[in-house]
Amino acid sequence: MTTGIELRNLRKLFEGHGHASWAVDGVDMTIGAGKFVTLLGPSGCGKTTTLRMIAGLEMPTSGQIFRDGQDITDQPVTDRDMRMVFQDFALFPNMTIEDNVAFGLRVKSKKGKYTEPQIQQRVAEFLDLVHLKDHAHKKPHQLSGGQKQRVSLARALVTDPKVVLFDEPLGSLDANLRKIMQLELIRLHRELGKTFIYVTHDQDEAMAMSDAIAVMSQGKVMQFGTPREIYDRPANRYVASFIGHAHIVDATVDSKQADSLSVRLRNGDRVGLRGKADAAPGSAVGLMLRAEDLAFADAATDTIGGRVVDSLYRGEYVEYVVALNGNSGVVHVHARTDLPPVAHGSAVALKVNPAKAHVVVH
Amino acid sequence: MRAFGNRTLVTGMAMSVLAFLYAPILVMMVFSFNDSQYTGLPFNGFTLRWYEALFSDEQMLMSIWNSVFVGLGVVVISVLFGVPAAIALDRYEFPGKGLFRRIVMLPLVLPGIITGIALLGFYLTIHLRLSLYTIMLGQGTALMCVTITEVFARLQQLGKSQAEAAANLGANDWEIFKNVTFPGIRSALFGAMLIAFSISFDEIAVTFLLTGRENTLPMTLWSLLRREVTPEVNAVATLIVFLSIILIVAGMYASRGHANESEA
Repeated sequence: MTTGIELRNLRKLFEGHGHASWAVDGVDMTIGAGKFVTLLGPSGCGKTTTLRMIAGLEMPTSGQIFRDGQDITDQPVTDRDMRMVFQDFALFPNMTIEDNVAFGLRVKSKKGKYTEPQIQQRVAEFLDLVHLKDHAHKKPHQLSGGQKQRVSLARALVTDPKVVLFDEPLGSLDANLRKIMQLELIRLHRELGKTFIYVTHDQDEAMAMSDAIAVMSQGKVMQFGTPREIYDRPANRYVASFIGHAHIVDATVDSKQADSLSVRLRNGDRVGLRGKADAAPGSAVGLMLRAEDLAFADAATDTIGGRVVDSLYRGEYVEYVVALNGNSGVVHVHARTDLPPVAHGSAVALKVNPAKAHVVVH
Repeated sequence: MRAFGNRTLVTGMAMSVLAFLYAPILVMMVFSFNDSQYTGLPFNGFTLRWYEALFSDEQMLMSIWNSVFVGLGVVVISVLFGVPAAIALDRYEFPGKGLFRRIVMLPLVLPGIITGIALLGFYLTIHLRLSLYTIMLGQGTALMCVTITEVFARLQQLGKSQAEAAANLGANDWEIFKNVTFPGIRSALFGAMLIAFSISFDEIAVTFLLTGRENTLPMTLWSLLRREVTPEVNAVATLIVFLSIILIVAGMYASRGHANESEA
């Protein structure tokens, strides 16, 4: 028996006017109890539909959902005891903040579980948890966006669910507020020990908060792993280019040892890197180069030659755009601001951090 | 206001539009207090005798009551069938949904006389005796579309997520309707009820064809007017104008309540 949520070959067909498409196309995933797992991808990748199927708001076309080993695919949404935090907050406008939060405790299916004084005490406790104690008697339209989302959060958490689902909850908030709320969510996850399943298209948000990230595209999970795995060892070109500012340069495997390999770019430059790759010598791969893993160096073996075509002063660092020799592609390089500037058009040699460069096969 | 240029001209135009709209009504109201047998000048003095006449005119009072009775019945029918239809349109997929959504507007577009003739033929075929109830049924089925479109539009505007949130929190269908859906559509529904009532109240084409022995107010006024315009008619009209103003204010209150809520 697995604890947590397990998705088995989950699929969902959406039928529009005359055409049908798989919004979710064979998702397999195990989300451990108590984990913070994020479904990350661009809009239309199926992440929200997957979340809605877990919640029971959407019926899968095929596949199964298990919770602690028990098949809940056909269980109605009302009985699932997983609480959702919606992007548009979905507060009840005619009720006070207090009544909004108490809603899940007062429904008939919870009748007898709490007495009215207990409900009031619990509501007060959770309003305090999200710092909204003083707003209990207001109506939703009197609150700001961030406050509304905290009400929505309190409303979800007050019923003590094992699993909390988040559908782009910070999507409609401005950047500053989003950062504050991210910290808040991490704190709540740590303090409450519940399973958080989180949907977002914002990779920084996903990286900062999650125990594990599922990168999705066109209804499929492209990679499921820790933020570090996804960032440092992307499974394929899609993940590599979606996460961070990576550039992928065409290369061929030159030679391969047990825990290192050497690849050759189109222009003949050779790059050595540590780690394993699922590719035989001679096969075509993509070499993933991130700006922070490249540095200017003296021309030598194991450097890549190129020419500076642009530079951007970013404050923290100077970002150079370097076109690689032999039309091999373009990479970005971050250089310290206290180093002498490199003029446009100058030829440069780039050293690659062998521990961080990575090869993608697909 | 400066953008409009000539302020005097704009004010003048606005005034003349208002005058064309409301001066006749004002004149009619004034004549309802005129102590003269005829509707017209000279103004002989203030009297309430036309109101007295009105309130002792059994036939007139009966027809007012009939109109109110029919109007209320129409409201009940249009709410009872319109609200579930609007919810079905909003929430469920069913075959012919697109067609149903468009065709539901037809009774409002069709000339009343056509609807009336069709319903008359139908009632006669199934041997339904013409009465106030047949009027109610005829108007109610036609005015149902007001409720459907108003409530449907509000439901679309509200979106699904509030109802989904309620279900997600463990509420059953009835609790969702009572706590989320109904408060959301309440003002739209109230507006639709007012519209249905006021259209029903002065409807004459369908009523003319479907009425039995009892008459509604527009029918009674019509038959009175065929002889002459008595000040009593002015008195009735004046009362109806005041009633309409009350309904409009009530409607405004209802929609203002919504404006607050929709910000949430």
